[in-house]
Amino acid sequence: MTPEEISLVQSSFERVGAALPALTTRFYQELFRRDPALRPLFTTDMAEQKVRFATKLTEIVHTLPHLDDLLIHTRALGARHAGYGVKVADYQKVGDSLLDALAAILGEDMDEQTRQAWARAYNLVSEIMLEGAAAARPIGT
Amino acid sequence: MTITALRWPIVGRRPELELFERALASGQQAGIVIHGRAGVGKTRLADECRQQAETAGHPTERVAGSRTTALLPLGAVAVLLADGFGNTDPDGRLDSAALFAQTRRALQQRHRGQRVVMVADDVSLLDSASLALLGYLAADGTIFLIATVRTGEPVPDLVTTLWRDGRLERVDLSDLSRAQLDTLLHLALGGPIEAGAGREFWEITRGNPLYARELVLGALDSGALVERSGVWHLDDHVPSTTRLADLVEQRIGHLDNEARAVLELLALCEPLELSYLEAIVPADVLESLERAGLVTIAIEADDVRLAHPLHGKVIRGATPRSRARAILLSQADRLETTQHGAGVAALRIAVWRLDAGGRPDPATLIRGAHLARYAHDFRVVRRLIEAVPGDQLDAAAALLLGEALYEIGDFAAAERVLARGQELQSSERMALRLAVTRAKNAQWGLCEPDAALAINAQARSAISTESLAEELIADEASVLMFSGHPERALAVLERISGTDRRTRVVRAIAGAPALAVTGRTADAVRTAEAGYADHVALGEELAIAHPAMHLVNQVFALAEAGRLAEAEQLASAGAEIVATNRIPIAQIFFAANRGRVATLQGQLATARRYYAEAAGLAEASHFAGPRRLALSGLALACAMLGDAQAAAAALAERDSGPAFGFRGPEQQLADAWAALAARQPAEAAERFKRAAGQAASTGHLTAESWLLHDMMRTGGQDASSRLAELSGLSDSPLVAARARHAAAIQASDAEALAAAASDFEAMGALLLAAEAWSGAAESFSQAGDRRAATAALRRSDGLAAKCEGAATPALFHENPAVPLSEREREIVMLAADGMPSQDIADRLFLSVRTVNNHLQHAYAKLGISSRAGLAEALGGTS
Repeated sequence: MTPEEISLVQSSFERVGAALPALTTRFYQELFRRDPALRPLFTTDMAEQKVRFATKLTEIVHTLPHLDDLLIHTRALGARHAGYGVKVADYQKVGDSLLDALAAILGEDMDEQTRQAWARAYNLVSEIMLEGAAAARPIGT
Repeated sequence: MTITALRWPIVGRRPELELFERALASGQQAGIVIHGRAGVGKTRLADECRQQAETAGHPTERVAGSRTTALLPLGAVAVLLADGFGNTDPDGRLDSAALFAQTRRALQQRHRGQRVVMVADDVSLLDSASLALLGYLAADGTIFLIATVRTGEPVPDLVTTLWRDGRLERVDLSDLSRAQLDTLLHLALGGPIEAGAGREFWEITRGNPLYARELVLGALDSGALVERSGVWHLDDHVPSTTRLADLVEQRIGHLDNEARAVLELLALCEPLELSYLEAIVPADVLESLERAGLVTIAIEADDVRLAHPLHGKVIRGATPRSRARAILLSQADRLETTQHGAGVAALRIAVWRLDAGGRPDPATLIRGAHLARYAHDFRVVRRLIEAVPGDQLDAAAALLLGEALYEIGDFAAAERVLARGQELQSSERMALRLAVTRAKNAQWGLCEPDAALAINAQARSAISTESLAEELIADEASVLMFSGHPERALAVLERISGTDRRTRVVRAIAGAPALAVTGRTADAVRTAEAGYADHVALGEELAIAHPAMHLVNQVFALAEAGRLAEAEQLASAGAEIVATNRIPIAQIFFAANRGRVATLQGQLATARRYYAEAAGLAEASHFAGPRRLALSGLALACAMLGDAQAAAAALAERDSGPAFGFRGPEQQLADAWAALAARQPAEAAERFKRAAGQAASTGHLTAESWLLHDMMRTGGQDASSRLAELSGLSDSPLVAARARHAAAIQASDAEALAAAASDFEAMGALLLAAEAWSGAAESFSQAGDRRAATAALRRSDGLAAKCEGAATPALFHENPAVPLSEREREIVMLAADGMPSQDIADRLFLSVRTVNNHLQHAYAKLGISSRAGLAEALGGTS
């Protein structure tokens, strides 16, 4: 990522502000619309799940400029997701859903540059998560 | 931030890694194959898969093809071989099957029976023997294969076969997207990169990961890429070259002589022991090379190699030939002193000496040639044996080389080598093999059957062991059979009393076709079947044709028995086997026999295609005799399609080559049919008759039947009594059907013609059936049975339509008793199939009114009043 892209992600995320719960709700709507089969992966209380997602998203956005911190958090996150049975193809759906949810909440603020910055950020984060997932999952099981 | 902290990540390959995990876990798959352009990251992905497998507790191994290892059979997989090359028997033959089994046992023992995940990098560069070994190990699940194939390189049969069987997952790698490249840079550099620099990397690399790696490491090394306040900047332009090789050259160009010497050593002889390198270069040189991403060091395995094959290629290209030679030879000497030149080391030593233009140990070369022979890699056999000094060439090596030269199509050279081999001292068994191979070369390669018989006779007079003498008798029969003397061949075979498997195999090679052409088709099929089973059980041996030749014989025998569908099925299966194993002579014969079966089936365009393929294959491998057969078939198919010009051209091409007696009379079908196509029926009839006479005098019963029958069906003189006689002498239903058809033609017996037509149809001989129905129609109408005539004509038309454009005379005769015009017949046929007038009109581009007018006229001529009576008037449907 470029420093400008990182700033753009962070500033646009700040604009979400109080609408973070709405963003989260929208994200899950988008995700389950894309793939209803993913719903059973979320066995816990959805309200609690949304809070967890929002917290994690905030944390990731804040650590974006510091790769070492980002690696520590997101690798472990990926390892946990492997345990939930999340597949590589699911990551694409999550990314698309997140970008659409952001567009819905940010409206005109989500311009082309912002969208691209988020896309780059998500690519980076998902690669690290998948690396963590691979390291955690013994294959052949 | 220092370069040592740099971890080069893998990005954008998670779907492929997941696919690998699934395939490995499934237990069903034999492996995955990774395809992609140079530098796209195939090797990296394969190694990542391997590492994941290792982390999960799977044992792993790695082999890689390269220009050097390709020089010697099993060179690439030397690390897997338990005991070097295995042992040869007293005749100098190598038991490759035992070597493979032994290698498998050793692998299983070493890894306690666990499945081994095996990376085979750049499989296109593996020699055939290595590929055969990997295929053997993958087939029963001893290994899970991860193969990489560079786009544009030939894909080895190992991969295509497994892939066709659905046992290999295919992964196609493409370059990274812009987002993926950014992620790669971010992770590799450990932080964000300034926008302009990111753009420049993208523009130059276009997402090629290797290019990106070289560029980034080069820029870090030269100080062009620097970090300030957590952001990476490009202070200088990165090299603007678009050639990856140039980039590597620039990187290596910066190195001092000591470092460069290490790279040269590795480029030529990798992998090398770390302990050895540490002894000859300072530790910091190795460290700096590792830091710069130019070498990889495995401390525990005591193993150093270049970081990427591309580096090797560039370095070798820049190393002067004399210097490369000196390095290779000194390494060969070193290994010889330290490892006593045994096993795997001997192989590497031989490779290096060969590569240096030097003289490797002849024993190693000959063993390597045996392995190549086992994998049917005759070009490698030739290269290896030709590197053996002439005075050290023994009889076994001469046989190997002679056979390879024969298979490659250099018959004159094969004759020289085999004749020389016969002068060398050898066992009787070896002398026999030399004689048999030399005779085969004379017969099939040089098209000199008399020379082949002389070689055979000379060998027989010198041999005392009875079983070996019998094999020579069987071989004499083979020469006789394939030079056009089936009856003499059978008489010679009678002299054999021995029953050992090898003799049975050799006997079957000549016996099956001899029985078939003389009309004993059931015995022929049985003999070919047993010959194949015996040959497979016998295993691979020198001087005997490939087992698939028995399948060729069986296809021929089935066709002579009129079992056309079975013949086609077997030919198609056989063709696949020999295409995989690259046996030119068998490939030619399968293609030619498929053309022959298609001709009998009346599938003339198909026949033409297969014959053309056979002729092309024969031309490519210099088999003049089989080429003659193929061109005869091609001319025949063209003539029966009415293409007089193409038929004449094929004949002219055929007659520019040497004569070939095998199935000689049958070859003349083409001349007669070409005359027919050129509208010279008298000439054609004369040729049929003359060829049939030759067939009769040489015992070619089925060919005589074919020739006489063709003479009659094309309006020539009566031969029905001779055909009946032949039918009595043969068990072939096809010969019998021809006789019945001929008798029916002669008697103008409509019912008998209809019966003959049904016989042909049941056999799948559609063109003959169409012609017989057409003849039946004529006879029916002459007898005044208009309805039966129309029905017969309809069946004839229906069958003729399936004959791919057949234009034989019997299809064309006018039928005055069925007075429908061509247009009327066309419309009536469609109406009888239940097609409404509107649809008929649409199909024929007519108005509905015109269609109905034609129908009315036809009804009047047929004596019916409406469409309802049509089916009945046409005598029911076929």
